[in-house]
Amino acid sequence: MTKYLQIWLASARYSVARTMMFRFDFLLWATVELFWMSVNLLLITVIYEHTTSIAGWSKYQMLLLVGTSLLIQRFLMGFFWSSIFEMGRNIRTGYFDYFLAQPGNILFMASTRKIDLDGLINSFVAMGVVAYAAHRLGLHPTLLDLGVYALMIFSGLIIHYGMLVLSISLAFWITSAQGIEGIYFTLSEFSRLPKAAFKGVASVAFVWVLPVVVVSNAPAETLLRGFQPRWALAIFAAALLWVGAAVWVFHRGLRRYSSASS
Amino acid sequence: MLTALTKYRHAFLLGLQSNLVYRVNFAVRGFFYMFHLVVVFILWGAVYSGAKDIGGFSFGQTLTYFLVMLVMQFFVGAFNEDYQISEEIRNGLINQFLLKPINYFLYRFSIFVAARLVTGILILLPLLVTLPLLHEYITLPHDFWRIGLVVPAMALSALIQFSIAYCFGMMTFWFLDIQGFVILSMAVESLLGGQMFPLDLLPAGVFRVAQFLPFYYQTYFPVAILTGRIHSLGEVWQGFGIQIAWVILLLGLNQLLWVRGLRRHTAVGG
Repeated sequence: MTKYLQIWLASARYSVARTMMFRFDFLLWATVELFWMSVNLLLITVIYEHTTSIAGWSKYQMLLLVGTSLLIQRFLMGFFWSSIFEMGRNIRTGYFDYFLAQPGNILFMASTRKIDLDGLINSFVAMGVVAYAAHRLGLHPTLLDLGVYALMIFSGLIIHYGMLVLSISLAFWITSAQGIEGIYFTLSEFSRLPKAAFKGVASVAFVWVLPVVVVSNAPAETLLRGFQPRWALAIFAAALLWVGAAVWVFHRGLRRYSSASS
Repeated sequence: MLTALTKYRHAFLLGLQSNLVYRVNFAVRGFFYMFHLVVVFILWGAVYSGAKDIGGFSFGQTLTYFLVMLVMQFFVGAFNEDYQISEEIRNGLINQFLLKPINYFLYRFSIFVAARLVTGILILLPLLVTLPLLHEYITLPHDFWRIGLVVPAMALSALIQFSIAYCFGMMTFWFLDIQGFVILSMAVESLLGGQMFPLDLLPAGVFRVAQFLPFYYQTYFPVAILTGRIHSLGEVWQGFGIQIAWVILLLGLNQLLWVRGLRRHTAVGG
């Protein structure tokens, strides 16, 4: 465990040094993320110019939900995105051999290699959105609520990690398909919607089968209505299940990997 | 003239073939867009649960807007043309066009038109399959002039879409990696091009400003003509005037970037 922490810290140091070298890139990508976050927030703002409720959620409740969803996504972008995105490309091109030769868990080595500071910087913006919405709602969460919220954000990050690894692992089977990482972005769109908006089949599919709705709704509900064991159980169970499934599928896929060597 | 047409006809046919070959890529993208429609359906369904009409339009009209927007994106939208052009510049593949009597813009545009023809027709297939589920929501106005005018509006939109992508591709002469600029522009385009929400829901002042920007004419303009979000012929003619002005401006910018970019370009090797 200490060995992996040391490896991760070395990767983090390398990523920070690299960011300092390419400062324009850092600024550009931080702006890109900020713009996309603003697009999502503007969508909510514009809709509430014409209505007072979306599935029973007020404007600032929705902002809190969207802010929470963006926060988890920013952490994923910051800690894992570049590494996992490159993993898909490396599997397709055969450069994944490099990771097979490393002395450590292959998935860990491949998915934690790079850290993007631009994503992490924007996580402060997302936190600001959550704090602003909570302030406008007059919320005063207890320390327990905040602790559970943080734990749920961490679980949400694990679920997103699982979803992303799962979709990228498809590259072991569908090597000709580029852009399969888009599955993750498509699914994450659902996490910006309140659970009450899902009815019938959609509720079964996106709330219970895929945990995309639980990921953001569970922490947001904790801040809005206090700690509820039902939500905590749902998100912790989903985190275990999805990361387990991702590891399993990744290793199944690895067996199919035929390398680039001739 | 005829010889020139033959040249680009070959490029067009090449584009058709290549897009039919990479069917899996299309299927993946089409699948994402279908999921996006599900998000639209759930979100706007929830919005309309608290209001009978939004901005003067019913749920059916709003859903129709997003459906037409989806089809329009596959018919006129530039997907990865900027990357393709960028790669050709970076890898030195454009060198061959500098030595031949081929206009690079027209060559790429011919391929773009072929690609959009294939993706546009292919996206209709899953929509036809889901039509029994969707038909009760589809609400289109019955004015015939809309169908007649949407075709030139689409053609001009395609030109704007391609010209913007071409401009980004040309930026490779100055920057090694254009990905950041492209994704940044995608955020602006998705917002001001009406992909996130119908632009007429914006506050009146902001909407007025948006009408003078090129993004409005990338997809929103033809979609608004067809779905009745543009009410009168007068508004359509005014829109055409601004759209044509943007086409001329962007074509000029394309040429300027090409000429200036080539001055910086170095072709190495035999």
